[in-house]
Amino acid sequence: MTKNTITYLKEMACNLRKDVMTTVHLAGDGHPGPAMSVADIIAVLYFNFLRVDPENPRWQERDRFILSKGHSCPTVYAALARRGFFSPDLLPGLRKLGSILQGHPDMKKTPGIDMTTGSLGNGLSTGLGMAAAGRYLGLDYTTYVVMGDGELQEGIIWEAAMAAVHLKTNKLIAIIDNNNFQSGGVIDCVSGLNPILPKWEAFGWHCQEIDGHDYEQIISALQKAKAEIGRPSVILAHTVKGKGVSFMEGDNSWHKRVPTEAELKQALAELGGEVG
Amino acid sequence: MKTVASTREAFTAAMMELAKEDPAFVLVCADSVKALRATPFQDAYPERLFDVGIAEQNSVAFAAGLASCGLVPFVGTYAGFLTMRACEQMRTFVAYPGLNVKFVGINGGLFGGEREGVTHQFFEDLGIVRSIPGFTVVVPADASQVVKATKAIAACKGPAYLRLGSGREHVVFDDKMTFELGKARILKEYGKDTAIFTNGFIIPRVLKAAEILKDQGINVTVVEVHTLKPLDTDFIIDILKQTGAAISVEDHNIIGGLGSAIAEVSTENFPAPLARVGLKDIYPISGEAEALLDFFEMGVGNIIDAVKKVMEQKKKLSR
Repeated sequence: MTKNTITYLKEMACNLRKDVMTTVHLAGDGHPGPAMSVADIIAVLYFNFLRVDPENPRWQERDRFILSKGHSCPTVYAALARRGFFSPDLLPGLRKLGSILQGHPDMKKTPGIDMTTGSLGNGLSTGLGMAAAGRYLGLDYTTYVVMGDGELQEGIIWEAAMAAVHLKTNKLIAIIDNNNFQSGGVIDCVSGLNPILPKWEAFGWHCQEIDGHDYEQIISALQKAKAEIGRPSVILAHTVKGKGVSFMEGDNSWHKRVPTEAELKQALAELGGEVG
Repeated sequence: MKTVASTREAFTAAMMELAKEDPAFVLVCADSVKALRATPFQDAYPERLFDVGIAEQNSVAFAAGLASCGLVPFVGTYAGFLTMRACEQMRTFVAYPGLNVKFVGINGGLFGGEREGVTHQFFEDLGIVRSIPGFTVVVPADASQVVKATKAIAACKGPAYLRLGSGREHVVFDDKMTFELGKARILKEYGKDTAIFTNGFIIPRVLKAAEILKDQGINVTVVEVHTLKPLDTDFIIDILKQTGAAISVEDHNIIGGLGSAIAEVSTENFPAPLARVGLKDIYPISGEAEALLDFFEMGVGNIIDAVKKVMEQKKKLSR
């Protein structure tokens, strides 16, 4: 992995963050905090790992990506637009009547979305189904599922975690955006989850733990996960909610909040960089 | 001649035939292989049987994932665990995106659950799936109909729900009886005094009641509505116009199933007196199937009483 690649990916993540702030502001609705914490991971996936074809969003052999924490969709919508699945002009239409960009990812309305999500907990199960279908059909794609940490409170995730190992699932990579917050506040105050990784280890997953904003770690972890055979892989990524904008970092009021004109201006100034 | 045949075995037989023709058909179970009598399928097609264990929500969302890649999964387990525990998965991850997943719910009705008790007797399933947009809902009368219905829903595009029972169902029709998805049909036409709309394993009781009524000078038309959704509304309206009164008979809560569907059609198109025979929105108990249905007022006598009740109402309206 070259330094140039990482520079490029950092720039793309910066663009995604600017897109998120602008989109949510213009849309008048959205979840910017959780969208920001996962931006680096999304940038690496969409601009370095995912084998997808914007001209052919339903290409049978494509890699699958599921944003199980669907409320972070502004980041993924921005990534899809920048990869050419649809025009970036559509981004401000988020959540508005008639938009292809629904409040949560919609596989029928938005090209490039592999599974409808938003109702937390379900992404891993659907991803497991996709991975199983790949093996059955003899296709060589990888299925990536990005989950939130609060989302791990949903029981169905553990059903899928159990089944994934029992079915000796290959090519299923789960990434947990561990920003330590959920809607109601700090996770440990709402319903404690820690320790997270030992739970996955106990279930039989290949486990890794990284700084979710460190590109070398993200890339290395994904490469190691891809090399796993005979069992699924999970990456616990420590992140900061609202990452990238000083007045948002660690402030849970940005879970669901629209930046004002002034806030948007300051955020864009802080994020700087080329709007590519 | 066989008088009892298993709807569960019939389903598996149909799956075997489907699987032989097309590798896209697969079966997803939630530790329900034995319950579905699907061991022959598991033996013949081990790579096509996905058992995720006692995890119904996962089984449905997993099937959605399979279907998104072009497979046609049938998800089979207990009707209530499917439609209640995994209702949201059926709705948001299958029906909403229109994925081609078929659902098979066993233990439908008191006849289906019988001695198991309330936890395994399911009388809300049809009301639930009927209210989810995009679902085809089928309630076959017996095992030979299950074979045809399974193939019919396999051929139709999009989500479908098929109601099975305990495996101890009466034989209602001979093998020559066809099955046409979405079409209601007349089973007996003694006369136009009242219509009896019905479906499922309770049909033998309806036919018996119709015979007794005929002997008493009341001549009914018995209509099978095996496809609850999409409903054959034109046919139903036509029958209502001819009879001017109707009852519904189903092994389901009187709220949400066939009775509610007929009431909706009638009220909006041709208001007519209607009485609903079914479980009267109460919880049942364990018991042997026939005795249980009688105990909960779904007996032949109850069907006859319901017909006489709407005939009275019809008479009063025509004065």
